[in-house]
Amino acid sequence: MKQIALYGKGGIGKSTTAANLSAALAGEGLDILQIGCDPKHDSTRMLMHGTWIPTVLDLIRERGDDKITADDVVYEGFRGVRCVEAGGPEPGIGCAGRGIIATFQLLERLDALKGDVIVYDVLGDVVCGGFAMPMREGYAQEVYLVTSGELMSVYAANNIAKAIARLSRRVRSRCTLGGVICNAKNIEGERELVEEFARRINSRLIAYIPRSRIVQVAELQKQTVVEYAPESDQAAVYQELARAIHRNETTSIPTPLEMDELESFALEFVQV
Amino acid sequence: MSSNPSPSNSSRFEGCTLTGALSVLTEVRDAVSVIHGPAGCTHHNFSLLHATLLSNDRLEVPRLLSTRLTENGIIFGGEEALENTLARALSLSPASVFVLSTCIVETIGDDVAAVCAKDRGVPVIAVPTAGFLGGVFETGIRNALAAVASLAGPAAEKTLSANLVGEKNLEYGVDENAAEIARLLGRLGIGINLRFVRGIESRDVERLGSAAVNILREPALRPVGEDLERRLGTPCVDSFPAGLAGTCRFLEEVGRICGIDASAAVEEEQAHQAEMLSRFDDIAGSRVDFQSPHPMLRGDPGAEAICAECAEALDLTVDPDGAAIPPPYPAPVGTAGLRRMLHRWRVLIREERRR
Repeated sequence: MKQIALYGKGGIGKSTTAANLSAALAGEGLDILQIGCDPKHDSTRMLMHGTWIPTVLDLIRERGDDKITADDVVYEGFRGVRCVEAGGPEPGIGCAGRGIIATFQLLERLDALKGDVIVYDVLGDVVCGGFAMPMREGYAQEVYLVTSGELMSVYAANNIAKAIARLSRRVRSRCTLGGVICNAKNIEGERELVEEFARRINSRLIAYIPRSRIVQVAELQKQTVVEYAPESDQAAVYQELARAIHRNETTSIPTPLEMDELESFALEFVQV
Repeated sequence: MSSNPSPSNSSRFEGCTLTGALSVLTEVRDAVSVIHGPAGCTHHNFSLLHATLLSNDRLEVPRLLSTRLTENGIIFGGEEALENTLARALSLSPASVFVLSTCIVETIGDDVAAVCAKDRGVPVIAVPTAGFLGGVFETGIRNALAAVASLAGPAAEKTLSANLVGEKNLEYGVDENAAEIARLLGRLGIGINLRFVRGIESRDVERLGSAAVNILREPALRPVGEDLERRLGTPCVDSFPAGLAGTCRFLEEVGRICGIDASAAVEEEQAHQAEMLSRFDDIAGSRVDFQSPHPMLRGDPGAEAICAECAEALDLTVDPDGAAIPPPYPAPVGTAGLRRMLHRWRVLIREERRR
């Protein structure tokens, strides 16, 4: 079983990438479980054709955690991809990070964490220990950073690299960096920038996903691109991403950049 | 002089704000204290307070309620649990309700003050605590005193009386110490207006502003004394008296604040002290060795000064081979406190002689 986690800045396209990745992996005949770990619980929506599935934390809140079965939290979507949404408290109260920890504990107890590949789609930034949960021992062994060429996005990716580096120092840790995915915003020199950033943090660019209108069109149809336009160039990109991740055996312990390094790196690539 | 002239010199200034605050709040007998957090935070304090009450021969149960927060309360926010527990507290018909927060509810950002702000017919007062996050034991005491003071009436006409402010409700000699202050003030014709806070009811606090002077238990309470002076116009003496000369200075200071000539009272007290010391003639001239304080308590210059003063008064010789005498903690209050301390010295000196 391969367990991977996608991390990256909020709004960068993690969920779109994750859903298309899961759909493409399922197309290879693999059994896939995708777990959305963001309180806004929209990770699996395209796989579920627009349906908002009940979140684990909603069920815990309504029923108590001893009255929940695996069938209550796992929903089958496109190509049999099994979908789970962690959910979270109402915005502005409680502790979403602790909610992620409780979700993982419940999924463990329900023996729901199984399949050929588990894809964890995680909140934009590792704001507290709870959101680092998928990186901890027993869960994702490979983290993929999703970033565009925008500096704020690279900055967030660098922060996540810091968390991976910190966690990898722990004795039982198996968490490594699998690679960097460039989800392009069509910025000039974007591929080169992200490629060089990946190299400097001791990793590599594993896929370059060009910006494409078809992603929005598919979303309006409440589908992944892989389902909506399977013959499109964009679907081919996701298929290639799936194959690259599935056969990837080269992972690394990242060497995140210091703030001044990050700033001088930015100056090299952005014409002032 | 206090046993604790600086906040850095003793473990009393560590610990949890809840314990400090509850040592004050549970002495408002018709109030209920609600602790917003896991049940354990309440259990721990309930046990301590209950045991302390029993050791002071009071068969009472501290009126505490916990919101009994569990993991789900932490994930989804605990304000609803607080609302429910407040309803339970009000069903007990308290005259006032104090609400304290623990570390975890402050960590997740529950707005305790906002929940308390709703009108419920009786005062529901949020006491800034936040468990270990909000400070230490002493912070809890200060914030609880300020919270109870919010029940006070407006600044009132002063009567020739005093408030005892911030008595150490967890110490064994708390009532004996209060009795000693009452005896000393009696020499000046000053009565006790209010023990703030020990064994009182919510409505008693209305007369907080009627005293001519506030007697603080120790200098660490100065911020409370200053706040009361600002709000109610009552000046304060910053500590219970300690030592022979210190007790006489205390009389002079209270006299000065209340506009009373204390010289006769001081003379009477000096005579009383001489008579008290004469009862310890049997140990005069003995050899004693003052021990280092317990490492948790660190050094207390006040206690050292009191030991030196009494040793001189009884003509004791300080000698490493003398009877081992631990420094008092906290410093004894007034002449009666010294008498009890000297009784213990006598026991230790006699034991040493028998060896």
